[in-house]
Amino acid sequence: MPQSEIQNIDSSPNEAFAAVPDSKSNSMEQGITMRAKGLKLPSISVESMQIVALIAIITILAISMQINNDRFLSAANLKVMTVNFIPEAIMALGMTIVMISGGIDISIAGVLLICGIVVGMLMNAGLPVPIAIVLTLCLAGFIGFINITMANLFKVHPFLSSLSLLLLLRGLSLVITGGATVSGFPDSFKFLGQETIFGIPTQIVLFAVLAITIGYLLKNHRFLQQAYFIGGNRRSARMSGIKVERFLIFAFVLNGILAGIAGIVTASKFGAASVSFGQNAELRVIAAVALGGASFTGGTGTILGTALGIFFLALIYNAFAMTGVNTYWQDVAIGAMLMIAVFLGEYLKKRQIAR
Amino acid sequence: MEAVLRVENICKSFVAGTPVLQDVSLEVKPGQVHALVGENGAGKSTLMNIIGGIHQADTGSIYFNGQPVVFSNPLQAMQSGISIVHQELSLAPNMSVAQNIFVGHEPVRGGGFIKWKDLHANARLLFDRIGIEIDPTALASKLSVSMQQLVEIAKALSFDAKVLIMDEPTSALSDKEIDRLYAIMRDLTARGVAIIFISHKLTEVFAISDQISVLRDGRMAGTVDAKGASHSQIIQMMVGRHIEDLYPPKSSAIDENVIFAVEDFSKPPHFKNISFKLRRGEILGFAGLVGSGRTEVARAIFGADKKDTGKIMVEGKEIKVRSPQDAIKHGIGYLTEDRKVLGLFLNMSVRENIVAAGLNRFLNKLGLIRHRRIKRETKHFVNFMEIRATSAEVAVINLSGGNQQKALLAKWLCAKPRVLIVDEPTRGVDVGAKAKLHSDLRNMVEEGIGIIVISSELPEILGLSDRVAVFREGQITAILAGNTTQEEIMKYATV
Repeated sequence: MPQSEIQNIDSSPNEAFAAVPDSKSNSMEQGITMRAKGLKLPSISVESMQIVALIAIITILAISMQINNDRFLSAANLKVMTVNFIPEAIMALGMTIVMISGGIDISIAGVLLICGIVVGMLMNAGLPVPIAIVLTLCLAGFIGFINITMANLFKVHPFLSSLSLLLLLRGLSLVITGGATVSGFPDSFKFLGQETIFGIPTQIVLFAVLAITIGYLLKNHRFLQQAYFIGGNRRSARMSGIKVERFLIFAFVLNGILAGIAGIVTASKFGAASVSFGQNAELRVIAAVALGGASFTGGTGTILGTALGIFFLALIYNAFAMTGVNTYWQDVAIGAMLMIAVFLGEYLKKRQIAR
Repeated sequence: MEAVLRVENICKSFVAGTPVLQDVSLEVKPGQVHALVGENGAGKSTLMNIIGGIHQADTGSIYFNGQPVVFSNPLQAMQSGISIVHQELSLAPNMSVAQNIFVGHEPVRGGGFIKWKDLHANARLLFDRIGIEIDPTALASKLSVSMQQLVEIAKALSFDAKVLIMDEPTSALSDKEIDRLYAIMRDLTARGVAIIFISHKLTEVFAISDQISVLRDGRMAGTVDAKGASHSQIIQMMVGRHIEDLYPPKSSAIDENVIFAVEDFSKPPHFKNISFKLRRGEILGFAGLVGSGRTEVARAIFGADKKDTGKIMVEGKEIKVRSPQDAIKHGIGYLTEDRKVLGLFLNMSVRENIVAAGLNRFLNKLGLIRHRRIKRETKHFVNFMEIRATSAEVAVINLSGGNQQKALLAKWLCAKPRVLIVDEPTRGVDVGAKAKLHSDLRNMVEEGIGIIVISSELPEILGLSDRVAVFREGQITAILAGNTTQEEIMKYATV
């Protein structure tokens, strides 16, 4: 009699709960119980396999470079290597959330550019540094808002809305500067891009704080977790009561603000804002996020993977600079690497489904 | 007994002037399974979506526990105790089972941080309650379809549902799994939960339901006690007329010409030593349990999967099939079991879908498309197949399941194949459309082609086939005459 036993279990839920992990006999008797076959296998997800592969490649690359040139892993070189990619790294954090929720935003390089210029112009106009920064970040967030609102309202793919913004922002930057470099910032603005905290460059500390916070929240916070559901199955996310549009607005605004931070850091580092900033940065960012395991269809991706992806790019660029191999080859290497990562990911996924 | 849910005089139209629901009323009592049946497009899903807060009624009211309620989103309905188990599986693949169940109402500590231990413990308690054992930390993508279905039920129950709406919950389940589902449903009703059960399969409806309500063309055709009702009475209420025969008469026009033959097809472990012949004008049924290799053989014939060894002969000549394009070129069509994923271009129009496989027939000498001829022919097919759509330009996604299946059949009809393989041709299709699809298949073979029908419904195999090939564990164990019996087929299909 399944009925009576179910009631029996119901009356002592704790006992039934305790019996689940090891004792099969109790549940087998119910007659309507089944075991999830295959779940006992140690299941490594495709994502974590990609991360392991990425770590392995980074290690091999770093060791072989170190053998080649013993200054490669020196503190000085590591600092140079990392600092060069901090703007991309900061932007990749936002892009990870956007891509997990199934979107894309290629306007970030334009946001970086315009924010570097705007923060400089505001300071040169006499505004105190903190106020200039806050106003600039408001602008950055607003651009993100415009981006996703266009996509939501007109039901266009965010690729298209962000493409239009990228072109528009690049053009605007030329218009407001006349092509000239903006410079002559106050000294206190240097702290972000040129100074250190306990000997570590401020921008690296900034990135680490942002990455750890966002990474932790993405894993453990109810609100940010929604990204995975929206990217995994948007329709059912909506059915489950997730306010999809509201989350996407959040994700794109955050992404815009992070690109704004990247622009301010860049301006601080060079003590100037030039219209050449951020050239192709959006492509490097997307490549890094994809290398880190985020899929273009949404639903997958981690901050750890993204950070490794960025580090890999930084390593490749630095390795080319140090070995003196024609730097024209560096994008070839990264393109090839991305290709391998994509094929590897697809292959692993297929093999898992087949099993 | 006081009704837990009362729906009164609901009207709803999405496009002004074409009502989907008209003056629909329904009463659901606690502890009962209330079946809701009706043809595709009758308005069942719309009614459920209104009750579940996904859509809002234009006029009319809903009373829950005697109180009038208005739900403006699904979450409100779920929190009040009305949950839907949707027909299409909707779990986020890369999230754990527990996360999927509690999405949107995870146990959190202050600031919204998820309490993982509680989350997993709560999921285990829910699984215990419905008597299944799944690891709450497993990724949803690792579960079988039937397991995912059970997780969906657990998800619906996680809100302590008083009314559970199940939309075609059995369509992806095997017989054994369906029995388990019934046991869970009975257990839930024993605790006072009311279940609204939507199904196309009347046998299931009679097996589990206490009450049956029938929707027809957006109106409530009536509610009856399951005990006193008969199949034919329900069918009559559904279609508004009496359906004489679900199956057309068998063929009179089989000639001895073998139009298609397969010899020694093998691809261990999926299938081996598959040989059979198909004659002109014949419908050959492929019977067997789920997983016996029928679909795998069909996919290999069509070039969708690779085979290891074996020959395909069309009209006596051996042909090489390495891809679906090759198969189509030689006149082999395959109507897939999964029409949404593999068969149709959902966002494209009925017209574009119909000509998708037969575009070669509409090219002029320069290789340009002859649009006017396409329009004329698709119009003919829409009429001939009785596809219910406002025009051939409507996107297929807007059609009901039965009409989508008709469009898919029209697509292959339009490609003028010599051999057509149809895989579960009437899955998720209502009775009226079923009879129409069956007679269409018969009409197609009468025009001189051969058809292979794969179906898990034995009555369908028996009703349609001129001969039946029975599969077991990747092999054909018998080829029986069309007048065989279910028992005979089962004898060869099982060990």
